Amino acid sequence: MSVEEQKTEQKLVFKSSSLQFQSANKKKCVWKGLKQIISSEKALPWPDNCVHYGSINAPPSFKPPEKFSDLSGLPAPYTDPQTRLRFANKDEYATIIELPMDITAGYLTLRGATSIVG
Amino acid sequence: MDIMEFKDVKSTPDIIHTYPSSIKNNSTPLVVDNGSYLSRVGWSVNETPLLQFKNLIAKPRKERLKKDNVEIVQVPQLQIGNDIVNIETMRFQLKTQFDRNVVTHFEAQEHLFDYMFTHLGIDTENSVNHPLVLTEALLNPNTSRQLMSELLFECYGVPGVAYGVDALFSHHFARPKPLENALIINLGYQTCHVIPVINNKTLFENTRRLNIGGWSVITFLHRILQLKYPAHTASITLSRAEELLHTICAIAVDYKEELMKWTNTDYYEGNIKKIQLPYSAGTNALTLEQQKERKRELARRLTEINARKREERLAEDQEKLRQLLEVQDLVEFGGEKEEIEHILGEFELKSVQDLQKALTNLNLRIEKTKQKILAASNIEEAEEPPVKQAKYSKMVFENDTALHSFLDNVKKMRQEIITRKLVRKQRKQDIFKRRTAAGQERMRIISQLARKEKGNDDFGLRDEDWDIYKTISKDGGDSDSDAENEKLLEFEEILRTHEPSQFEEGANLVEMHQLHIGIERYRAPELIFKPYMSGSPEAGLSEIIGYVLSLCKPEEQLKLAENVIITGGLANLPGLRERVLKDLISIRPFQSDVRVSVMENSALTAWYGAREFAKRDDFEKYLLTKKLYEDIGHEYFKEHVASNLYFPTPKEVMIDVDS
Repeated sequence: MSVEEQKTEQKLVFKSSSLQFQSANKKKCVWKGLKQIISSEKALPWPDNCVHYGSINAPPSFKPPEKFSDLSGLPAPYTDPQTRLRFANKDEYATIIELPMDITAGYLTLRGATSIVG
Repeated sequence: MDIMEFKDVKSTPDIIHTYPSSIKNNSTPLVVDNGSYLSRVGWSVNETPLLQFKNLIAKPRKERLKKDNVEIVQVPQLQIGNDIVNIETMRFQLKTQFDRNVVTHFEAQEHLFDYMFTHLGIDTENSVNHPLVLTEALLNPNTSRQLMSELLFECYGVPGVAYGVDALFSHHFARPKPLENALIINLGYQTCHVIPVINNKTLFENTRRLNIGGWSVITFLHRILQLKYPAHTASITLSRAEELLHTICAIAVDYKEELMKWTNTDYYEGNIKKIQLPYSAGTNALTLEQQKERKRELARRLTEINARKREERLAEDQEKLRQLLEVQDLVEFGGEKEEIEHILGEFELKSVQDLQKALTNLNLRIEKTKQKILAASNIEEAEEPPVKQAKYSKMVFENDTALHSFLDNVKKMRQEIITRKLVRKQRKQDIFKRRTAAGQERMRIISQLARKEKGNDDFGLRDEDWDIYKTISKDGGDSDSDAENEKLLEFEEILRTHEPSQFEEGANLVEMHQLHIGIERYRAPELIFKPYMSGSPEAGLSEIIGYVLSLCKPEEQLKLAENVIITGGLANLPGLRERVLKDLISIRPFQSDVRVSVMENSALTAWYGAREFAKRDDFEKYLLTKKLYEDIGHEYFKEHVASNLYFPTPKEVMIDVDS
């Protein structure tokens, strides 16, 4: 047991020693992530009327997404075929062709448009 | 337009509060709003929460000192909540107990409870003798609640706990007389919820959650600013983005219209926010005068050091001379031979002749040093050598017009070089693109060159023939020559000496460290309404509100639309109410009643609501006691008006693999 844990035990009088997550799981305990919890919950045979965490997710958007310039946020009628960035006017285009790769990639990731297909 | 600056608010470590005996002996309920951003903690008798801290722990890396055989592991102090004074320095060591809006990491939760109870000053042995009101996520999974109960009952020995949903606490208890029907819009740090409540009953099946919240907006803003100002990536931090969200961000009532306004330069100039990043003037920012001053200072210090050294040497030599003279006296007055030899040995001298030599040497040296000191003092008085003249000193002109015409000329020549460079660059780019005139011309030449015609191949007879290879080469004929670059530098130098204002570096440095934030003020919070801006497929807030309404019966829809309540940390954003109202009117039937209100002090309403709940007379009834916890099961809890629903986890069906 490390020094610090002993210290905390001595210090915090209000804790009872019967259960402690920190000391009980001294070896790195892997806590289940939310995704794991949801999926294991889903696998169980729940009654029909029951609602759980995984079932109240927002629906997908039914409206077509509008296109905004990656640089300025203005409505963007154009797309640069080379970088795939959207732009609103020719000044922005002049900026886009000067942009280094990491910035263009950054803009695309921000918009979530990194897949090759899309 | 005044320029703003970042406040960079640092958190101050919490004090350890006193533990009054009135609270200690009455087992006053403790109210904890355990949000994914802030934790707010206070007794049910308090006016405001005693503690408010970020639900974060920072674990500094272990420093191992393994010099010797014994490995000393220095366990660094764990920093919890407001102990983390500067969050940016700890950014990579931060941990939270939350995964989205659900507590999953209970080791971290335990640390945070430790922090909480310690700072409340609780000193009872082996137990925290207070019932707890604790908020949890809407439809918190049973697993999470079970672990929470285990932690509370078995580690801290609390007598009882009541779980509730933050948004529902806000609605039902934070205000004096809530309506029976409401559509609650809770804008949290990790998630947003749209919750319909009819006749004080939460319609869980019609509730929807948007997995975007304040955190997403902050990271989005952070990233767009970083991409806009790549030079300042390091100084645009998440906490600064957060500060911006709270200070200057707003929700556009009509986003499209707002965008159109910004295309107008006057509007842009009038509404842009300029923010000054901290910067330090580098060495190149020093003016010529300062540089000179610095050099002079350096020179002065050097001469001082030299002078001191000389003085020291002089004193040393004089002392030695004195000693040697004494020895000489001894020799002259005929001292004992052995004694003389002994003394000479001490001075590393072999004989009396050596002594004479040493004496003359020493005398010479002293003379020299004295001369040097004299010379140095003379120089100091004299004017120091003139500073090397700048390469392009100001030329003298007869009058202003001559100067202007000269400068214009230089400017023109400079511009010419720049355009030539630009043209060249453009051509270089074009050549490698298909479907440009330059590219096609190049291909035509290449194919012509490749064509072999027997007999009449006279290529190369004339010297000009070879020039064709220059035109099709990568550089497209000519490239930026060194001579041109030199010329350009020269022109710039001339301009700088004559018109320093245009090339002023000091002023530029200030402006270089400014962030201009225009559309971003509206663009970042718009993420809540347009999650697709960050690539999320989810519907936006307004669309979800419409969807949730469409799930309810028409008469319920009427009741809900009449009382839309916005709460949560982001509810304070300016323009939010108007925006929701506008979007709602557009989806509701013509002239139907629509009312939207934003809760006052919206970040704290959940805590206030939970506190009022704890003050109720029938509070005890809703308390999950330790006995119930042990009897019914670890995941059980008591339902109430502001709580989740309890569905016991069904027993897993054993699927027989063999059959």
